[in-house]
Amino acid sequence: MDDASMVGLMGRVTGTVGPGLVGEVIVRVRGGAEHFLAYPATGTVRIERGTVVMVVEYLPPRTVYVTAAYDS
Amino acid sequence: MPMIVGVVAGVAVVAIAVLIGLFKMMWRVAEPNEALIISGSKHRTEGLEEGMGFRIVTGRGTLVLPGVQAVRKLSLDLNETELHVDCVTHQGIPLKVRGVVIFKVGDDFVSIANAGRRFLDQQKMMSERVHNVFAGHLRSIVGGLTVEDMIRDREKLTGQTRAACGTEMEKLGLIVDSLQIHEIEDPTGYIQNLAMPHAAAVQRDARIAQAEANRLATEAEQQSFARMAQATRDSEILQAGYQAERDKAGAKARQAGPLADAAARQEVVVQETRVAELEAHRREQQLQADVRKPADAKAYEKRTLAEGERDARISAAQAKAKETELAAAAEATRVKTAAGAEAEATKSRGSAMAAATRATGEAEAAAAQARGLADAEATKAKGLAEAEAIKARASALAENQEAVVAQQLAENWPEIVKAGASAFGSVDNMVVLNGADGMAEMLAKALTMGGTGLGLARQLLASMNQNAPTPNGTSPSLNGIAAPPSQKVPVEKDV
Repeated sequence: MDDASMVGLMGRVTGTVGPGLVGEVIVRVRGGAEHFLAYPATGTVRIERGTVVMVVEYLPPRTVYVTAAYDS
Repeated sequence: MPMIVGVVAGVAVVAIAVLIGLFKMMWRVAEPNEALIISGSKHRTEGLEEGMGFRIVTGRGTLVLPGVQAVRKLSLDLNETELHVDCVTHQGIPLKVRGVVIFKVGDDFVSIANAGRRFLDQQKMMSERVHNVFAGHLRSIVGGLTVEDMIRDREKLTGQTRAACGTEMEKLGLIVDSLQIHEIEDPTGYIQNLAMPHAAAVQRDARIAQAEANRLATEAEQQSFARMAQATRDSEILQAGYQAERDKAGAKARQAGPLADAAARQEVVVQETRVAELEAHRREQQLQADVRKPADAKAYEKRTLAEGERDARISAAQAKAKETELAAAAEATRVKTAAGAEAEATKSRGSAMAAATRATGEAEAAAAQARGLADAEATKAKGLAEAEAIKARASALAENQEAVVAQQLAENWPEIVKAGASAFGSVDNMVVLNGADGMAEMLAKALTMGGTGLGLARQLLASMNQNAPTPNGTSPSLNGIAAPPSQKVPVEKDV
């Protein structure tokens, strides 16, 4: 599969994403749902659990940078 | 020939079997929970850069050249590692933590490649390696937490786990699905002490609740006992009442016999008393008859005799007195009668004379009074009549002289005629001829002779004869319709 296909996928935060924290998002990918370690794409944003996020960057193997999908 | 055919057929079958065997040796299929790592020939590898030297196949089949390429399987299954770690918390409390880590090889090719390079020959020892890694990490994780956090704040524990192990495991191509802390052994009793206040409070509440429940139960019990005692008391009171009634009835029943005896005896005594009374009564009657009646009779006899004697004497005295009285009365009456007669006679005479004198006087007085009254009345009437006549005449004259004169003439016609007729006073009986006319003429003449100023009257008479019946008193037959030829007219001499 193509790595670039991760970018743009939507996911849900299962562990709070924020500065100084290692967050976790679960993303539907490869016919299943996998979780990735997540960091905020824009510096100081704190994203609580349950928020829908979009993957803006993918660093193999298991790291993504996310931003909130909707203005909350 | 058939033998050649058989050999050819056998060879073909063998060849097919060999081909199938070769294909089976060359065609390898990756099961869902494993990845095939194929090395040995240069291949274009999907998802990996050039120079890796092997390719990864997941979920499908691929052709492998036996002897040229090596195929190894890497399991993608879940693994778990028991953790037994002695560690010290943030507060410096030593704990023995028992937990489990659940991990697997990542599904992406990068993770599979990393894991393949590290664990391909040591898949059995993967758990041990991970345990060693995690033992150290868990110490650091627990060192960053307090006991309360570990017990209560799972989010913080998982967050710390990710922070400490996430990147570490990325290097190994593994992902941690779960870290569970099963058991925390607490040799210093910290957790127990931690729970103690709450336990004490709970125990206190429990005891309070228990005591309250006991109190309520006891209250209810005591109330119930009180009610029972009350019911017992009421019942006993009722029973005593009934017993008393029974005793009363029994006593009454026991007294009934003696009472009946006494009543019977009383009846006997009453009857005996009655008999004695009757006896006494009879004796009294006897005595009355034997003693009292004869004595009474004797006394009555004596009394009657004495009374008779006394009455006789009284009667004699009375008769004598009466006789004397009557004689005196007769004498008196005689004298009185004589005197009364004399007086009466004298009185009668006097009164008779007085009455006669008085009657005479009264009669004379009455006569004189009557005369006087009559004269006065007559004079008065005359004066009044004249005054009235003068008044009427004056008024009549004021209004209609002729009519008044005519009226007056008519009213005074008899007098006028009389006056006129006084000329005939010496005539005894006069026969008038020529009916009414003749009479009129004669009257006219007489009137002419009789009075002055009678011209007017004559004129009036003439007019009356022409017009209407003459006034009454002259003659009713003056209307001249069926007048008799002659008639007698009585002439009064007296006025």
